[in-house]
Amino acid sequence: MAKEFVAQPDLQFTKDLIAAGATDLKKCYQCATCSVACRISPDNRPFPRKEMIWGQWGLKERLLNDPDVWLCHQCNDCSVQCPRGANPADVLKAARKMNIQNHSWPSFMGSLVGESSLFVLAVGIPVIIVLLIVYASGWSFPEGPVVKYTAHHLPPERDGFIWVRFIQVVFTLALLFGIASLVISLKRYWNSLETYNPVVEGGPRRDFWTSLVEALKEVFTHVTFKDCEANNIRYSAHLLVFYGMIGLAVTTAIVAFNFDILGLKPPSLNGPGTVPIKVLGNVSAIAFVVGLGIMLVRRLTVPDQAGGSSYFDWLFIFFIFGTGATGLLTELIRWAGGVGSAYVLYTIHLMFVLALLLYLPFSKFAHLGYRTIAIAWSKAAGRKIDLGVKPNYTPPAKSAE
Amino acid sequence: MDHKIGVYIDTGYGIGEALDIEALSAVATGEFKVAVCKAEPYWNEPEKLAIIRNDIANESLTAVIIAGPSPRVFQQEFSFGEVITERVNLREHVVWSHPANDEDTQMLAEDYLRMGIIKTSKYVDREPFMEETDKSILVIGGGVTGMTAALEAAKAGYQVYLVEKEPRLGGWANSFHKVFTGQPPYDEIKDSPIQEKIKAVNDHDKIKVFTGNRVFSISGAPGMFDVIIRPDGPWIEKLVKEQNEWLAAKKAKEAAGGEEAETPKTAEPAAAAEEEPPEEIDFAHETVRVGAIILAAGWRPEDVSNRKNLGYGQYPDVVTSVEFEEIATKGKISRPSDGKPVNSIAFVEAIDDEVKHPLQYASSVGSLVALKQAHYLRSTNPEGKAFIFYENMRTPGQYEKFYQTMQDDPGVFMSRGVPVAVGNGTAGLTVELKDTLLGEQMKIGVDMVVISTGMVPATKDSAILNLKYRQGPFLPENPYGFTDSHFICFPYETQRTGIYVAGCVRMPLDFQSCELDAAGAALKAIQCVELVAQGKAVHPRAGDQSYPELMITRCTQCKRCTEECPFGMYDEKPDGTPLPNPTRCRRCAICMGSCPERIISFRDHSVDMIGSMVKGMHVPDEYSEKPRVVVFVCENDAYPAVDMAGINRLQYSSFVRFIPLRCLGNINMVWIADALSKGIDGIMLIGCKYGDDYQCHFVKGSELAQYRMSKISETLQRLVLESERIEVHQLSIDEYHRIPEIVDAFMETLSGFDPNPYKGF
Repeated sequence: MAKEFVAQPDLQFTKDLIAAGATDLKKCYQCATCSVACRISPDNRPFPRKEMIWGQWGLKERLLNDPDVWLCHQCNDCSVQCPRGANPADVLKAARKMNIQNHSWPSFMGSLVGESSLFVLAVGIPVIIVLLIVYASGWSFPEGPVVKYTAHHLPPERDGFIWVRFIQVVFTLALLFGIASLVISLKRYWNSLETYNPVVEGGPRRDFWTSLVEALKEVFTHVTFKDCEANNIRYSAHLLVFYGMIGLAVTTAIVAFNFDILGLKPPSLNGPGTVPIKVLGNVSAIAFVVGLGIMLVRRLTVPDQAGGSSYFDWLFIFFIFGTGATGLLTELIRWAGGVGSAYVLYTIHLMFVLALLLYLPFSKFAHLGYRTIAIAWSKAAGRKIDLGVKPNYTPPAKSAE
Repeated sequence: MDHKIGVYIDTGYGIGEALDIEALSAVATGEFKVAVCKAEPYWNEPEKLAIIRNDIANESLTAVIIAGPSPRVFQQEFSFGEVITERVNLREHVVWSHPANDEDTQMLAEDYLRMGIIKTSKYVDREPFMEETDKSILVIGGGVTGMTAALEAAKAGYQVYLVEKEPRLGGWANSFHKVFTGQPPYDEIKDSPIQEKIKAVNDHDKIKVFTGNRVFSISGAPGMFDVIIRPDGPWIEKLVKEQNEWLAAKKAKEAAGGEEAETPKTAEPAAAAEEEPPEEIDFAHETVRVGAIILAAGWRPEDVSNRKNLGYGQYPDVVTSVEFEEIATKGKISRPSDGKPVNSIAFVEAIDDEVKHPLQYASSVGSLVALKQAHYLRSTNPEGKAFIFYENMRTPGQYEKFYQTMQDDPGVFMSRGVPVAVGNGTAGLTVELKDTLLGEQMKIGVDMVVISTGMVPATKDSAILNLKYRQGPFLPENPYGFTDSHFICFPYETQRTGIYVAGCVRMPLDFQSCELDAAGAALKAIQCVELVAQGKAVHPRAGDQSYPELMITRCTQCKRCTEECPFGMYDEKPDGTPLPNPTRCRRCAICMGSCPERIISFRDHSVDMIGSMVKGMHVPDEYSEKPRVVVFVCENDAYPAVDMAGINRLQYSSFVRFIPLRCLGNINMVWIADALSKGIDGIMLIGCKYGDDYQCHFVKGSELAQYRMSKISETLQRLVLESERIEVHQLSIDEYHRIPEIVDAFMETLSGFDPNPYKGF
């Protein structure tokens, strides 16, 4: 490297990283077992070894602009193999959190979602907004069995729980805010990748869109997850969640289009269950919740394989699992004939959805954007990821100790 | 000397099935007419041992030969008090490594039995060397090691004299801020306990302390060292100068050819004190007689001011780790230059690219001290940053726990790194490093730089022991400047019997390890005074009661024995004849091999004994196509290796006969001549590895054997024989798998020559 490297270790950054979940960061003694164990690490300047010492040394600038932390898919092979118990996977995860927080726009939102001390505020904002909507909608349950009514109504009719205009305005704004913030944050991230990683390796520089398409192909097929050893069930689980989420998004989009643009009422519960849109919604929701359930159970029961979980993880799981679970429960209760409880649960569901939309670019949810961008950047820069030949070594399964 | 010999052939272990026992017995009874010869399986069993004891009593046997398993096993069982016990190895060396019921195997067994009987019949009666000895112990150095050694020896009941050159006890440890606890969980450091130790030493009535004194001279031998203790003064500089001159002269002489041993009666340098008339002692002094000496003279930090790139001496904020220790005792760490508080320190090792051996600048002590001193900073300044750059982070044993503790501290930054340059930065110093774990050359700005220096043993630049030995006033050094010994097998040993080194004069050690080292050396010193009092060797042949006897009337004053003894056993009379000091002797018999007049012998090991064994074996005539090879093997490493080859059933030629020696340095040229004139076709010598990392128990025995064999061509020429008939090999104990390879390759070489023409003469 031609440029002189003056190390400027930032003790606070190291402490922050440790607080963000890299608990065992300092244990690393640079043996590089992690980089050998990792099946997706590039052969040139592989991760996570270099990230470990950057983290130990508080080299903030490097770690925050390092695309490699996103090439990691958190399969946890490195942590399982680490002879020192330094848990590189957790370190990279913490680094990703710092990445999201650092590039967040507006930046206070990053802190709001990232700091455990602000949990009440982070949860309180969507709660209060939804409560206000409910209050403004009349603060009462519509009369009659819930199955006859939709949750939303358009005054002067009062056959729904919430005035639909509120939903339309508030949730659309939240979605737009989330998307705009994400785009701006990702742009900032891309720029810093460009600034701090000037070396183009491997092949010639390629254009953004080709790289992005390739990256998306990788994301949609989940090929990288397949390489995982220690936590390989996560391939299926994450795939379920991923497509469940897409299914639900498509369902929501179609319903919103039909209802809000075309003015068609959605098929209510009384309608046939075989309506394609309902099938899609229900299947997606089940896939979504089942996939999340698997990952949640593994996090709780086998943390040494699934990796440690920080506040940042739990908050995201809380939001996303809460969204899926409350949504599905609301439907079940409606089937069961519950009235008040269905509305209450639906209210809570709305709070979760709002939180998910608002915090999209700042919570762990943002990984869908950052990882895609990092993969795209690596492809554009010609960073060679595929080793071509898979290591002829199968790490032994960790026995139950 | 006539011995009444009983031969007991073991027919167990497959020996009975593989050999013709009757024919074998006939060798003992027929050829040698031994008093008793019996063949039974497993003589080591109690009822069989009773038979032997019975025979000893009834037949008044003076010697017993057990022909069966290797002499390395059942040593306790086959031990019959005053009766000589010889072992013939029929198991590992014969039946386990050669085909059963084979003519050549039978001949091999018979030859081994012949040699065993001949060897036994050559034993002579000689009393052990006993003189009145003293059991007090001298400890040189009043630092942590010296004081611990003194306390340990005194606690065991021995009178101790402790000599310290400084006016007070304690040494370097007086200036240490903290030391390691040495206690679980090993992750803390504590205040130095040196003051309590000083008090304990001063209070002990078996320890006599001489502070402000040095050892002026040591003469004598273990059990009878005479030590002159003299108050410190300018005389020491004169002595150092004299010794340096002596060393320079010695080196010059070696460089000029190193053939001193070959040219008798050269003038000796002045320091070979025995030649001089006794000095008049005209100064204040005290003389003590001691049995053993513990050298714990300590160390000094290496001078790094000549390493320009480190900036030491140039910038006041660049200090050595020793200086930093004193800065840290003041509590909050502040910069020497302006007294401002220190927020960041780079700990670097004084690595010099030109110094090849890392021991000269780095040791585990350097790593541990850097970790400890990083703790000083971190415990007094929560925002402090301690950067540790190391060549190797060495934290042996439980110190790993302390390393892990420091590693977990977010404010401790570690990386491998070689300091390239230290310079002035904007706010302090800038250190430039290469080969870092960050993967590139880097610079870092710090408030202070602490250099971990090498630890130079005190013996390097001062006259400490001042021995009145013919081989010089100090202990031989290893290539790294520390006292030499067979380091792995025998720590604390030196090449001077009865003088044990401990602490940092031996190798860089931390406080706790010095204490352990001191206890070890104290035990060795006690072992020495006790064994010497019983006329026994100390080590490695502990308990051996034989000792070299010289038929001095035949001595030609060639000085080979005095030169070649690795342990300085021989002093010299003014006429050049050797003056043995038997309690200094390790019984390695290297002198026996060195003596061209063959006047040095042990009661159970002599030139005549081995020569007779060689001459006693049967050599078939040249038409039988049965060549004969004698292999002299070192009994410490090569012989066990041959045993292990047998245990692993490795097969090799039945034409070779192994003869164990105490050390390959025993090899006397006359045996080669004996063997060749007997008609032996080839001779091999298998000894330990030599060189800087020698494995020889006696330091240079195998090297001397190699040297002597390089001079053998004259003998061979006289006999008109090929020089390839003699080979010398180095073998370590674990290389037993090479035995068949070495033997068979040699047989292959010999097959290219005609049989030795002297067969049958």
